[in-house]
Amino acid sequence: MEVVFKSIYKRYGQTTAVHDLNLTIQRGALHFLLGPSGCGKTTTLRMLAGLEQPSEGQLFFDGKDVTFQPAVERGIGMVFQNYALWPHMTVYKNIEYGLKLRKLSNQEIKRRIDEVMDITRLTQYAERLPGQLSGGQQQRVALARALAIRPNVLLLDEPLSNLDAKLRMEMRDNILRIHKQTGITTVYVTHDQREALSMGSKISVMHVGRLIQTDDPRTLYKSPRTPFIASFIGETNLLTGKVKEWSDSESRIETPIGTFHSTVHSEVFKVGDTVALSLRPEAVMIDWHKTGQGENFFQASVEHLTYLGESEQFQLKTSDGKGLKVNFYHAPDHDFKDGDSIGCYIAADDVLVLPAQPDMGPGT
Amino acid sequence: MQAQRVDATSVWQRRLSDVVGYGTVLATLAMLFFFLVMPVSVIIGRAFYNNGEFTLRYFPLLFSNELLMSSIGNSLLIGLTTTIITTIVSFPLALINTKLDFRGKAILTGLLLVPMVMPPFVGAIGILRFFARRGSVNLGLMEIGWIDEPIDWLGPENMFWAVVILEVLHLYPIMYLNLSAALANVDPSVEEMATTLGVPKWKQYRDIVWPLARPGYFAGAIIVFIWALTDLGTPLLVGYHETIPVQIFNMITDVNENPVGYALVFLVILLTVSFFLISKLALGGKKYEMMAKGHVTQAQKRISFLATVGVYVFAGGVAILALIPHLAVVVTAFSDRWFMTVLPEFYTFEHFHQVFNTELSMIGIKNSFIFAGLSTVLDIILGLLIAYVIVRKLVPFPGLLDGLVMIPLALPGIVLAFGYVVTYTNTFLDPLNNPVPLLVIAYAIRRLPYMVRSAAAGLQQMSPSLEEASTTFGASRFHTLRKITVPLVMANLIAGALLCFSYAMLDVSDSLILAMKERFYPLTKAIYVLFLEQGTGELVASALGIIGMIILAACIMGASALLGKKMGELFRS
Repeated sequence: MEVVFKSIYKRYGQTTAVHDLNLTIQRGALHFLLGPSGCGKTTTLRMLAGLEQPSEGQLFFDGKDVTFQPAVERGIGMVFQNYALWPHMTVYKNIEYGLKLRKLSNQEIKRRIDEVMDITRLTQYAERLPGQLSGGQQQRVALARALAIRPNVLLLDEPLSNLDAKLRMEMRDNILRIHKQTGITTVYVTHDQREALSMGSKISVMHVGRLIQTDDPRTLYKSPRTPFIASFIGETNLLTGKVKEWSDSESRIETPIGTFHSTVHSEVFKVGDTVALSLRPEAVMIDWHKTGQGENFFQASVEHLTYLGESEQFQLKTSDGKGLKVNFYHAPDHDFKDGDSIGCYIAADDVLVLPAQPDMGPGT
Repeated sequence: MQAQRVDATSVWQRRLSDVVGYGTVLATLAMLFFFLVMPVSVIIGRAFYNNGEFTLRYFPLLFSNELLMSSIGNSLLIGLTTTIITTIVSFPLALINTKLDFRGKAILTGLLLVPMVMPPFVGAIGILRFFARRGSVNLGLMEIGWIDEPIDWLGPENMFWAVVILEVLHLYPIMYLNLSAALANVDPSVEEMATTLGVPKWKQYRDIVWPLARPGYFAGAIIVFIWALTDLGTPLLVGYHETIPVQIFNMITDVNENPVGYALVFLVILLTVSFFLISKLALGGKKYEMMAKGHVTQAQKRISFLATVGVYVFAGGVAILALIPHLAVVVTAFSDRWFMTVLPEFYTFEHFHQVFNTELSMIGIKNSFIFAGLSTVLDIILGLLIAYVIVRKLVPFPGLLDGLVMIPLALPGIVLAFGYVVTYTNTFLDPLNNPVPLLVIAYAIRRLPYMVRSAAAGLQQMSPSLEEASTTFGASRFHTLRKITVPLVMANLIAGALLCFSYAMLDVSDSLILAMKERFYPLTKAIYVLFLEQGTGELVASALGIIGMIILAACIMGASALLGKKMGELFRS
C-alpha cells in the first residue's frame, strides 16, 4: 500500500508537533522515520495508525483519502515501543484477539496464528503469558500479533529500544527477514541513526516537527541538507563562515580559522551569505610535517588523544577556541602529546557548504 | 499477503456499543446531578429562601441558640482531637510498616486494619456496658482495691472522651494507610542521596520526607477530621447529644416547622467544604512527581528480636485496644444474667436464638445484604466508567468531574440523607413510602469516591498503549474496555467493591434517617432500634452486631483469598 501525507499539521494547543508534512511511502518499502525524541515522528506514526487525527492536511492510502477514517478501518498492524502485550492473555490469545474481531473462521484463525508464530519462531511459547517471556520474545509476540491480521501497513514504534545491544542486532535481522518474506509496507520509527542507516533503504529525517530530508542512507550521509542532519547522521565538525566567492562548481568560504575551498554544497548561495561548513572527522587529515599553507590548511592544538586500536581520535582546539574532532584510521606512529600544535588539511570535495541555521544541532 | 477489512456488521456493533457507552456516561452524570448536586442545592436554597424570598433570618436564630452553638463547638473539638490523636498513633505505625521488616509483619499490619470495618457504634454498645457505673471496669478496679467508689466514666463530662476514643479506634487505620502510602511513595534513593551528603536522619525527615509525604498526610487527616466531626452513630449511642450530627438527626422530623435545621446543615456543608479545601490547597501543598524510573522498593530494615518484640507490643497493643469495644460486644452478647461481676458468670446462646427468631433482625440482615449489594453493583459500574472517562480524558473537563465525584468524601452522610428527605418527600421517591431506591443510591454515591479512586489507580498504572493496540485491531472502545481494560484492573475493582460493600453494610446516618418503616430497616437501624428496647434489647443488639461483624469479616477474608497474591503478581507488566 502506498501512503501519502499531504500538508499534514498536528497541533496540541499552542505547540505544533508536526509541521507541513509531505511524504510518500512507497508500496512494499521499509521506510524509516528518524529523529531525536520530540521531533514528531511518533505523532506522525500515530496519525498514520488513526490513533490521532491531523489538525490539517490529508492522508492517502493508495490514493484514497483516509484522513478521518477510524483506526479500525485502516487495516493497521502496530508494534508499540513498550510492546503493549496484554498481560492477562497468553501469546496465543494475544495473537488471536485481532483475528477474532475480523470474524474469520476458526480454521483460518488457527492457520494464521500458526503461520505468524512460525515466521517469528514463537511456536513453542504459545501458552506462555507475556510476563514469562524475555524481552526479545515479547518483541516477537508484538510483531506476530501485528502481522497476523495481514495489515496494509505495518507500523513499528521504536521496536528495539527496550532490548540490549546484542538482541537488538539479532532483531534487526529478524525484522529485515520478515519484511522481505511478507513484503508488507512498513514504517519504522527510531531515534537511533545507526539502526536506520543499517536497515533502511529510505530514511526520512525529522527535526522539531518538520521533515527535513528523505533519502537513502548513503545520500543522507554524503549530502545532508542541513547542519542538523550532518551532525545527526554520523559525526561532524561545523564551522560558521561567509561566502567569499561563488560559482556553480566551486566556492571559497571565509571562516575564523582560515579560508576553505569547497566543491560540494546543499544549495546555492551568493557572495556575502553566512553559511555552515561540515567537515567530517574522518575527512580531516593531519599535516604531519606542517608543510602546507594557504586554503584548506589550518592550525590547531591537541586537547586529547584517544587510541582505539584500529583508529585514533584527535580532539583538537582550533585557533578560535572551538573544538574539532579528527578520526584517523590506520594512523601512523607519532609522538603528539596534549598541548602540541598540529597542522590540518581537508580536501575541497570534503568541505560541504550548508545553510547556517540556528538549530545547528549537536556539535555546535 | 492480502489485506483484510473488518466487515460491515462489526461497524454497526461498534456504533451500538458507542451509543450504549455514551448513554451510560450521560446517565452517570444525571445521577450525580439528581442525587448529589440537587439535594445539596435544595438545602442551601431553603437556608436562604422563605416562600420565594431571600432571607438571612435563620442564621441569627442559629447563632443565638445555645444548644446548637455548643453542639457545633463540641463537634469541632471532637474532630480536631480525634485527628491529633490518630496522627500520634498512626505515625509510628506507618514508619514501622514502611521502614522495618520483621517476622509476621503481614499479619500484624493486616490486624491493624480490622477496626476500620468494625462499626464504631456497635463498639459503643460494648463500651457502654464495660464502663457503666456498675460495669466491668468499675467493679474490676474496686475488686483490686484501686478505687472505693464507682467512677462515672460516661458521665456528661466524660462523654466527649468516650466519643473521641471510639472515633480514634475506628479511624486510625485510615490515617495509617494514608501515611504508609505517602511514605512508601517517597523514593528511598532521595533519602539515600541525602545520607551520602551527610544530612542527619531527623533533618532528612524534616526537609525531604515530610514535604513529599505531606499531601498524603493531609488527604488522610481531612477525612478523619470530617468523619469524626459528622459521625452520627457513636455520639447517638453514647448519649452525647450536644453534637451537630445528633442535632440534625433530631431536627429532621420537624424541619418544616423549624427551618433553623437548614441553616445548621448549610453551616456544616460550609465548614466541611472549607476545611477540605484548606487541607487540599494550603496545608497539603504541592504534589511532587516522583522522578524515579521503574520500581524502587523501599529498603526495609530487618530488625533484631528485641526490637520485634517492641514493635509487637506497640502495634499489637493498638490493634487490641481498637478491638476492645468489639470484644466487649462479644462478651455482652453471650452473657447471661450478668449483674455486679467483672465478667459474666454464665454464658448463653440465647440472644443469638432471639436474633434469629426476631423478625426485625432478620429483616435487617436481609435488607442490608440487598441494599449494600445493589449499591456496590452501582458503584462498580459508575466508578469504573467515571474513572475511565477521567483517566483517559474523554470529557471536556475531567478535573471538574473528578471534583464532583469526590464531593461525597467531604460531604457528611447526614447532610446527604437530610438533603434526600427534604428534596424527595412527596415525590415518587418519598422515603416514607419506600426508601429502597434512595437508600441504595445514598450508599452508592457516598462510597463512589473509593471506587473511582481505586479504579483510577488501576487505569493509571495501565499503559494506554494496551488499549490502543486493541483499537488498531479494530475493537470498539467498549469491546476493548470489556476484554482488555476490565480484566487488567479487576484487582482494583474488587478491592474497591469490597470497601464499598463493607461501608454500605455499616452505614449509620443514611440508614437511620431514610429507613422509616420497619420492613425497610437495614442492619444498622435494626441494631439501633433493638438497642433502645427495654429488657434484653441491648443484648440482642449486641448479638446482631456480632453477626454483622462476622458477615463483614467473611466478605473481607473471602476477597483477600480471591485476590491473593496471584492476581497482584500476574498483572505486573
